[in-house]
Amino acid sequence: MKRIPFFNSPVLDRQMPMWRGKLVFLLLMVGFGALLAKALYLQGMDDEFLQAQGERRYERTLVLPATRGKIFDRSGSVVLASSVPARAIWAIPDDTRAATPGQLSELARLLDMPVSDIQARVADTKRTFVYIKRQVSPEIAEQIRKLNIPGFHQQAEMRRFYPEGGLMAHVLGFTNIDDEGVEGVELAFNDALSGQPGSRRVIKDRLGRVIEDVQAVVPPVDGRDLHVSIDAGLQYDTYTALKHAMQENKANAAAAVVLDVRSGEILALVNLPSYDPNDRSDRRGAGLRNRAMVDTFEPGSIMKPFTVALALDSGKVKVDTMFDTGNGQYRFHGNTISDVSRNGRLNVADIVRRSSNIGMAMISERLTAREMWTTFSELGFGRAPEANFPGVAAGRLRPWERWRPIEQATMAYGYGLSVSLLQMAQAYTVFARDGDMVSLSLVRRSGAATSKQIFSPEVARQVRAILEAAAGPDGAKLAQVKGYRVAGKSGTARKIVNGKYSKSDYRSSFVGFAPVSDPRIVVAVSIDEPRAGAYYGGRVAAPVFADIVASSLRRLGVQPDAPLESLVAVGPNGETAR
Amino acid sequence: MIRLCIVFSVLLMLSALSLVTARYQSRQLFVAAERLEDRSRELDIEWRRLQLERAELARHARIDQIARRDLGMVTATPDRTLYLDTPHAAQGERR
Repeated sequence: MKRIPFFNSPVLDRQMPMWRGKLVFLLLMVGFGALLAKALYLQGMDDEFLQAQGERRYERTLVLPATRGKIFDRSGSVVLASSVPARAIWAIPDDTRAATPGQLSELARLLDMPVSDIQARVADTKRTFVYIKRQVSPEIAEQIRKLNIPGFHQQAEMRRFYPEGGLMAHVLGFTNIDDEGVEGVELAFNDALSGQPGSRRVIKDRLGRVIEDVQAVVPPVDGRDLHVSIDAGLQYDTYTALKHAMQENKANAAAAVVLDVRSGEILALVNLPSYDPNDRSDRRGAGLRNRAMVDTFEPGSIMKPFTVALALDSGKVKVDTMFDTGNGQYRFHGNTISDVSRNGRLNVADIVRRSSNIGMAMISERLTAREMWTTFSELGFGRAPEANFPGVAAGRLRPWERWRPIEQATMAYGYGLSVSLLQMAQAYTVFARDGDMVSLSLVRRSGAATSKQIFSPEVARQVRAILEAAAGPDGAKLAQVKGYRVAGKSGTARKIVNGKYSKSDYRSSFVGFAPVSDPRIVVAVSIDEPRAGAYYGGRVAAPVFADIVASSLRRLGVQPDAPLESLVAVGPNGETAR
Repeated sequence: MIRLCIVFSVLLMLSALSLVTARYQSRQLFVAAERLEDRSRELDIEWRRLQLERAELARHARIDQIARRDLGMVTATPDRTLYLDTPHAAQGERR
């Protein structure tokens, strides 16, 4: 057979039109061109996406969590709140089907929750992420990790502890499950406490170990530690005294505030009932109320010294100006003002000591509504105190233009306006200092406190003497403290129930300061609805005041200023005085 | 010319080897530094934990209870207290 070269093949013999070859060539070239263009595009112009995808295969961004700052008391040695690591146990429901019942019951035992609970949580297999339990301690989490149950994973988180528990609960507040402040100091200073998480980009090897940093590490900035103004010792004493009184008087609630007269710092702030901030299930109900700061009430008699101070300051009365309070019933602009007992003729000091409402109404007649309103609002009533605290109450003080004469009279003795216990305590610093009111602080102060002059030092001194008499043997004598001169005023305010003044629900209060020779602390106590018989402020709240003052002054190391029978003092030169 | 080439290629080899070892060492040291940093973090956490534990043990409520009930102590009243009025103490108090 004759070999035919392929180009001589008869099949090819037919002459093809030239354009077909050209078309194929062109199409091929267009194809190559497209590939080249795509390659150029990916290499040169749109390279970020692929570059990032490549890096994701070996580079990781690690979030460096910042730790929330600790909270200390004013001494700096008592930790009031601190965060420690914890674990969250979570699961992918679909993967957990491989877990054996034995493993699940072991997990349930470690987590201290029923097996049925865990099963219910992973029942919905469509979901891809389910928390089983959060805030699990690292030791238990480690045991769970060793069980190696399919579908169950762990995630690091922080847990906040409050070693003092219910003692500090209202001041500190608490954080939510994500370690963010939601109440109290934790909320007020959340920004300073929480810090800034850092990040780093690293290359990891196949075992997941970090090999090197790709970029400079952004270090986490830990939250700053905070020193609150509270003294843990004073707080404990106040808490104990208040708790005791609350049980003894079968009271509904109680609150107390201790202020440092010189610096305006809040040394103790207690509210009862309280709650345990470590126990999440306990964070509800009446216990959460920070009564001293966010609850307002009609102050009643504890308001009287301010009206008297105003009258003295404006020269409308003198300490020995006499008023005839009659037989304890006084008709005033169509209303009757009554006293607890008939007092006859009283001077200004005795009006405060005997707490005569009629006397106060008579003093207020010499004052104008405008000057009373001005002084009361200067004292901070009707305005929220500048204590950096969430939800702090402003109280209510209506504009003076709308006061009726009877209202002006009742305001003189503390009805018709509402204040918080903290405002009251702050206002009393006017008398404890030289007529100036100090600004409050809930954090430890480094500099001097600012203050605002309201009454003249002379008037402050006069009212101080009046208040010392009011807490003296002829006044609320249960307020007296062994070894120290105290001054203060008791109050018994009727509570408003269904729009009327109740005859059975009272709020007994006492506000005062000590030692009188050089006041160091202001103490305000309020007992809500005492039900064990006694309800007068002088009977119910004054003993609590005395308890708190005695233990506080002892802790502060203040020398007694009242004569004591068996007191021994050793002078610097060794002489002893008996 | 050839000798120069040999010298340079030897130098090149040496430099390449030293680069590899330096690279290796740097990774080793990095891992070690990493481990120490972890350790420091662990110690910090431990310190926090111990601080909390101390706070728990030094709670005023607990101390008060132990002092009163177990040790039979009572609160010092001013009439049973000796007040030392030294100039230093007076200054300290006025602070």
